[in-house]
Amino acid sequence: MKKLSVKDLSKPIILVAFFLILTILRPSSFLTVGNLGNVLWSVSIYGVMVSGTIFVFLLGGIDLSIGTLCGLTGVTCVMTIRAFGYTPAGVIAGIAAALAVGLIAGLIHGLIITTFRVPAFLVTFATQTIYLGLSMILTNNKILDCTSPALFTSIGKNPVPIILMAVAALISWYVLRKTETGRYVYAVGGNDQAAAISGISVRKITIMAYMISGFTTAIGGIILSSMTQQGMASNGSGYEQYVIMAGVIGGISLLGGEGTVPGAIFGAMIIGLLQNGLNLMSVPSTQHGLVRGLVIIAAVGFDALQRDTKFQSWLAKRRQARAAGKSAA
Amino acid sequence: MANNEIILEAKNIYKSFSGVPVLQDVHFEVRKGEVHALMGENGAGKSTLIKIITGVYSKDAGSIWWEGKEVQVNSYADVQKLGIACIYQELSVEPPLTVAQNVFLGREPRKFGLIDHRKMIKDTEELIARYGFPLKADELVANLGIGLRQLVEILKGLSCDSKLLIMDEPTASLSGKEAESLFEIIEKLRDQGVSIIYISHRLEEVYRLSDRLTVLRNGQNAAVLNHEQIEPRLVIKTMIGKEVDESAGSAKEMRKNNNEVVLDVKNFSDEIGMFKDVSFQAHRGEILGFGGLIGAGRTELMRAIYGIDKHKSGTATLNGVELKYSPKESIKAGFGFVPEDRRNQGFIPLLSTVKNVALTNYDIVKKNGTSISDKDERDMGIRAIKQIDIRPDNPDKEVGLMSGGNQQKVVLGKWIQRDLKVLIVDEPTAGIDVGAKDQIYSILEDLASQGIVVIIVTSDLQELIRVSHRILVMRKGSIIKEFDSGIVTQSMVLEAGSGIVD
Amino acid sequence: MKQQTLRRFISLGMLVALCIFFSVLSKSFLTPNNMLEIVRDAAVPGIIGVGVTYVIITSGIDLSTGATMALVAMVMANIYKYTLIPIPIMILIGIAVGIVCGVLNGLVVAKLHLPEFIGTLATMGIFRALTYIIAVKDANGTISSVAMSHSSYAILGKGFGRIYFVSIAFVVITIIGQIILKYTRFGTNLYAVGANPKAAELSGIDIAKTRIIAYIVVGFCAAIGAIFTTGRLQSTTALLGEGFEFNPIAASVIGGVSLAGGYGEIIGTFIGAIFMAALENGVLKLQMNTAYQYVIKGAIIILVVIFDAWFNSVMEKKAQEAAAGKEA
Repeated sequence: MKKLSVKDLSKPIILVAFFLILTILRPSSFLTVGNLGNVLWSVSIYGVMVSGTIFVFLLGGIDLSIGTLCGLTGVTCVMTIRAFGYTPAGVIAGIAAALAVGLIAGLIHGLIITTFRVPAFLVTFATQTIYLGLSMILTNNKILDCTSPALFTSIGKNPVPIILMAVAALISWYVLRKTETGRYVYAVGGNDQAAAISGISVRKITIMAYMISGFTTAIGGIILSSMTQQGMASNGSGYEQYVIMAGVIGGISLLGGEGTVPGAIFGAMIIGLLQNGLNLMSVPSTQHGLVRGLVIIAAVGFDALQRDTKFQSWLAKRRQARAAGKSAA
Repeated sequence: MANNEIILEAKNIYKSFSGVPVLQDVHFEVRKGEVHALMGENGAGKSTLIKIITGVYSKDAGSIWWEGKEVQVNSYADVQKLGIACIYQELSVEPPLTVAQNVFLGREPRKFGLIDHRKMIKDTEELIARYGFPLKADELVANLGIGLRQLVEILKGLSCDSKLLIMDEPTASLSGKEAESLFEIIEKLRDQGVSIIYISHRLEEVYRLSDRLTVLRNGQNAAVLNHEQIEPRLVIKTMIGKEVDESAGSAKEMRKNNNEVVLDVKNFSDEIGMFKDVSFQAHRGEILGFGGLIGAGRTELMRAIYGIDKHKSGTATLNGVELKYSPKESIKAGFGFVPEDRRNQGFIPLLSTVKNVALTNYDIVKKNGTSISDKDERDMGIRAIKQIDIRPDNPDKEVGLMSGGNQQKVVLGKWIQRDLKVLIVDEPTAGIDVGAKDQIYSILEDLASQGIVVIIVTSDLQELIRVSHRILVMRKGSIIKEFDSGIVTQSMVLEAGSGIVD
Repeated sequence: MKQQTLRRFISLGMLVALCIFFSVLSKSFLTPNNMLEIVRDAAVPGIIGVGVTYVIITSGIDLSTGATMALVAMVMANIYKYTLIPIPIMILIGIAVGIVCGVLNGLVVAKLHLPEFIGTLATMGIFRALTYIIAVKDANGTISSVAMSHSSYAILGKGFGRIYFVSIAFVVITIIGQIILKYTRFGTNLYAVGANPKAAELSGIDIAKTRIIAYIVVGFCAAIGAIFTTGRLQSTTALLGEGFEFNPIAASVIGGVSLAGGYGEIIGTFIGAIFMAALENGVLKLQMNTAYQYVIKGAIIILVVIFDAWFNSVMEKKAQEAAAGKEA
C-alpha cells in the first residue's frame, strides 16, 4: 500500500493542533460535549454542501450560486410545508420540492456550461442573483416562520444535521473513491481531452457534477431552514464563500483534478473550529474574516510553493483554457 | 546579394543530455544574406543546435561567433540584442492587439509619455512596405489566419533590426498559398541582406529557397551543400546515410498480409480537406505504417476514424460493422488510440499509473456491486508495469512526473489490458529515449502477432520501416503511394512523401 | 477593431432597447432629470469598474472591492471623528488606504501565486474584518453608523444641479481609464499579459508588475467610490459596500469584457454600468418588487455571456474563413 507521507499526515496534525491550542486557551469551555456538538452542528451545513460541490471543484468548475440556492431551496421547503398546513406529509413534500429545485438548478447550470461552452464562474455568478431574486419574490421579502411539525424542526437539531453530514460525506466519498463515475470525475478534471479520448463523456460528467452540487445544496437549504425554523431569502447567502474556503483549505485545487472528500470535510472543520475558537475568545463574528483570510492565504500560498514546478506551466496553460471556457467544466 | 561574409558561426559544438551525446563536434555557419537550410532526421540534433545558438541550452564545448567576434549567449534576450530573431512554431503573438502593437510590444514609441500610435502605425507601415508583406498595420491580429500571424512575428523580428531570422518548420501549419507567399517574402528578405536559418523536413522547400544546406546526422555534420548540389535524392541519401539505408533495419521487405480485412475505410473526407477521399484496408495481424510529412493529414484521418473529430463523408467498418465515430463506441468495438499530443491528450498527469491504466478498463476491472475492487485495479496497474517495463515501478507515482518514455508506456499500457482489434498509435516514440523506443516496438510487434491490427503514424522513417509490414504514404490529404511488396528504403518513403514519385 | 466596435454597438443597442422598453411603460423614465439620476447611480460601480476591467483584461478578478470601500470609508470616519486633520488630507489618506489594499491584492495574486478568485476572496474577508475592528463604536461599544456631515465633505454628494460631481468623476475617470488603456505601455501590457503571457514575457514585459499595478488601480478606484458614497450619505457603516463587488464585474461582463482575458474596453464597462443603473431605475419606476431586479439582472448576464460565446465563435470562424478565402 501507499506509504503515508508528511503531506498525508499534515491535515490530522493541524486538526489536532487546533484542538490542543483551543483546549489550552479555553480549557473549561472548549473540550466539552456540548461545545463540540455545537461545532459539528454549525459545520454540518458546510459539510453537506461541500460533499456535493466537490464534484464541481474536481472538474475545475465553480458554483457560486450555492449560497442563494441554499436560501431558495429552504424557502421552497418552508412554503410547501406551510401550504400543506404544517403536516408531516407536507414535510415530505417540502423536502422533495426543495431537492427537485436543487437538481433542476444544477441541470440548468450543467446544460448552459456544456452547450454554450461558457465559463462556470459567469453562469453561476448570474444564477446567484437570480435565485436570490426568486426567493425574494416567493417570500415577498418576508420571513416565513415554520416552527412545526416536529418532523421538520428535528432536522436542524442535533444529532440529525451531523448524521446528514456524515451520510453525505460518506456517499460522496464512496462515489468518488470507489466507483467508476468517481474515477471519471478525476480524469475529466485532470485532463478533459485525454478523458474524452479514453471514451468518457465529458458533458455527461459535467452535468452530473452540477446536479449533485445542486442536490446537496438543497439538503443544506432544508437543514438551514429547519435550524432557523424559517424560510428567508437571505438565508445561506455567502455560504458559497465558506464552502469554497473549506474546499480550498482541505486541499482541493480549483483548477480541478485534485482533492478528496475527507480533505473537504477537514476544511469545513477548520472553518468551524476557527469560528468556535474565536467565539470562545469573544472575538465578534464580524472580525473572523481576518483570521480566515490569513489562514487561506497561508494554506493556498504554501500549497502553491510546495507544488512541483513540473506541473506549473501545464497548470498555467490549463488555467487559461479554463478561463476561456474552452474546457467543458 | 549573398557574399562570403560570415555572420554567425558555431564551432566544434558538443552537447550531451544525461551522458547521451546529442551533438558532436558540429560546425555550422551562416553567411550574410543567405538562406541556409538545416536538415536532418528526427533526433539528428537540429533543434538542440538551434537552442544552443539562441541561448536556451548551454553548450558543453565549442564556441559561437557573431560577426567575427566570439559571443556568450545565456538567454533569448542576449540573442535578441545581437540581432537574431527566432520565429517559433508556437506563435508568440498577441491576438487582441493590432499588427503595429504586436510589432512594437514592449518598446512602443512615445510622445509626452503617451504611445504615439500615429508614429507606430507609420513605422509599421514602412516596415510592411519595405518587405512587401500583405499586412495592414492597424489590423487586429485576432482577425488574421495563422500564416499572416507568422508574418507579424517575422515583422516583429525585423523591426528590431535583426540580421538573422531562425525559422523552425515555418510552413508546418500553412496552406499551399500561404506557404508560397512566405517563400516570396523569404526571398525578398534575403535580397535585402537578411540571413535566414531555415529548418524544414520538406525537400521541395529547401530546394527552392536555400543557398546552402547543412545536413546533420546523428548529431554530427553530414554535409554542407551548395544550392546547385541540392539534389533531392542526394540530400535524402545524406540525411539517412548511405550505409544506414542499406544496413539491416533501414530497409525491409514489405509484405501484404492476406488475412481477412478487419478495418475497411472507404472514401473518407473531412470538411476542410485535411484528408480527401481516403480509402484503405487493414488486415488481421498486420502493422500498417502511415508515412508522409507533418501536415499530410494522417493524424486528422486517424482522429476522425476513431471519432474524436467529425468527418464529412465516407465510411469505416470494423469486421463489416460500421463504426459509430465516437471514442466510447470505438473502444467498445475494440479500438485503442494513442494520440500524437501525448502531454495534452494522452494521460491524466495528476493521477497515478494505476488509475491511468485502469481509465479505459473499468468494464473489466472487478467490482462488488458498484464498488471498484482496489486490488483488481491495482493488480492491473502492476501487470501493466511488468508487461511494458515502466521504471521505477512505483504504481502510485503521478504520471505527470514521469519521463516521456514512461508516460507513453502508461498510455500504451492502458490499451493492452483490453481485448483489442485495432490499435492506432500516432507518433508513438516522439521525444522518447532509444531504450524505451525498442520496448515500444516490441510491444507493437507482439500485439500484431496476436492478430491485432496496429496502425502506426510516424514521421520517423527508420521507425516506420522497422515496424511496418506495409506502408501507405500520404501527401496533402491523400494516400499517394502504397508499399506492399519488395524492399523499401527510407529514401523511397521520403521521396514519395516529398512528391518525388517516379 | 471591427469586432470590438461591433460589440460596443451591441452594448449600446441593448441599453437603448432597455430605455425604450421602460419609457413606453413609464412616463417618468425618459426625462432628462431621471437620465441624470441614472448616470449618478451608475457612477460608483462604473468608477470601480475601470479598475476591475483592467484586472479582468489580465484574466484576473477582484472580489474585494466592496470590502475595500468599507475599509477606506471607515479609516476616513475615524479621522473625521477623532482628529483635526483637514478634509482634503483625510481624503488623500483614504485614497492611500485603497492603494494599500490594491498592493496587498497584487502581492497575494502575483507573488504568492494564489488563484485570483481565492486570493481576493481572502482579502475581502480581511478588509471587512479590519473595518469592523476599527469601526467607530458608541459609548456602549456597539457599532453604528458614523456621521460624516462636514459641509465641505458633503459637497461631494452634490453637483451642478443634477449634474452630480460623482457623475463628472465617472466620465472623467472613464476617459482617463480608456486613455491609459489605449495610449500607455501599461495599457497595452494589460492585454498582452491577459492574452498570451508567454509572448508578453518574450517581449520583455514584467508580468507580475503589470498585474500588481492593475490591482492598485482597482484599490484607487474603490477608494474614489468610497469617498463619493460617504460624501453623499454623509455617513458610513461597517456594512458599506457589502455585496457591491458584484456590480463592477457585472458591468464589465455586460460591456463585453471577456473573463478569459485579453479583450475589453473601459467604454464597454461604462455602458454596462449605465445599463445596470437604468435597469434598477426602471424597475423602481414601474413599482415592481425590487426582487425582479435581481432576476432580470441575472438573466441578462446569462444571455450576454451566451451571446458573447456565440459571437466570439462566429467571429473566429469568419476570421478563419477570411484567411482560407485568401488562399482560394
